[in-house]
Amino acid sequence: MIKNIIKNGLYSNNAIFKQMLGLCPTLAVTTSAVNALGMGLATTAVLTGSNLVISLTAKYIPKNIRIPAYIVIIACFVTIIDQMMKANFYSLHKVLGIFIPLIVVNCIVLGRAEAFASKNNPLYSLIDGLSIGIGFTISLFILGSIREFIGAGTFFGMPFMLSSYNPLLIAVMPPGAFLFLGFLFAGKQFIDSRIKGEK
Amino acid sequence: MNSFFKSVFTITVITVLAGMMLALSYSFTKDKIAYQERQEILSAFKSILPYHNNEPDKDYKMVNNQKVFIAKDNGTITGYAVNVINTQGYGGAISILTGTDSSGAVSGVAVIYHSETPGLGDKITNKSFLDLFKGFTVNDKIAVKKDGGTIDQFSGATISPRALAAGVKDSLTVIDSAIGK
Repeated sequence: MIKNIIKNGLYSNNAIFKQMLGLCPTLAVTTSAVNALGMGLATTAVLTGSNLVISLTAKYIPKNIRIPAYIVIIACFVTIIDQMMKANFYSLHKVLGIFIPLIVVNCIVLGRAEAFASKNNPLYSLIDGLSIGIGFTISLFILGSIREFIGAGTFFGMPFMLSSYNPLLIAVMPPGAFLFLGFLFAGKQFIDSRIKGEK
Repeated sequence: MNSFFKSVFTITVITVLAGMMLALSYSFTKDKIAYQERQEILSAFKSILPYHNNEPDKDYKMVNNQKVFIAKDNGTITGYAVNVINTQGYGGAISILTGTDSSGAVSGVAVIYHSETPGLGDKITNKSFLDLFKGFTVNDKIAVKKDGGTIDQFSGATISPRALAAGVKDSLTVIDSAIGK
């Protein structure tokens, strides 16, 4: 069971590439590797915390008010993470600024609360939140690294290309996010179809 | 009716608990956040003003409803700084901190926040670009080359440098009237 949850979160039910949830932050913050990593980790922290609390409290929450109750719990976690980031990672918080509060309405978090945490025990929910979060982080990181590499010629802000390299600016602009996400989707489809074909 | 009260009761308990959690986390982080914000302002002053050993964010006078921060070295005035918000940027408001020496010539410019296009307009935060403003006084023409000035706009972005030039110009006008007083 646990092995399955981890595999689902990281790959087979990956938040971006399979569930296609949370595409708004995915497209917006992946202009560089460090932004993508920061956003991914913040979402992971929220997801793990909210999944745990919701699975502990789900049986006491009447069905008809579950969505507002989940949203309050999620918003509480997001605000705490927001304040802690501002206190300890000020410069990262400045870059991610407006995207952190938006984690509240990230469909992944409410989606996991509704589809998994409210029906499973706390341990499974914790692992599910963690693995979905890490799967999300890795996906963001790949997209962010590619866009930064091509669009700015750097990796984590360090020059990585010959100085004669002329950055392809579109990669770090909004259209680039759609283009490169499309390429990644195609890549994953290709890998999946190969795996299927071999069986 | 019973289930109605149960719903109200549950959501009340949840919101009260969430409120308490937030109050707790706020009281733990608020000092640190205030400290971080102040450090950022002080380091911005350090980078754009001539040497000073006071804290300019507490040492200012009001001119035309603008705070003019004063840098002092053991009580002698070494420079002035003004923070203006220019709304003519490509992505919205740009907050610009301009520092001058005691005669009113630019000693440094810093961008506190902006929302210019990544990779294009955000080059206004590059040191090599901001250094172009050094030495200007209120009597100089501060404009991008396209407008007949001397500031190099970079390829693909004219609006952001233009907004910055306008902001620096406004700051110098304020500082000039502060020196006059």
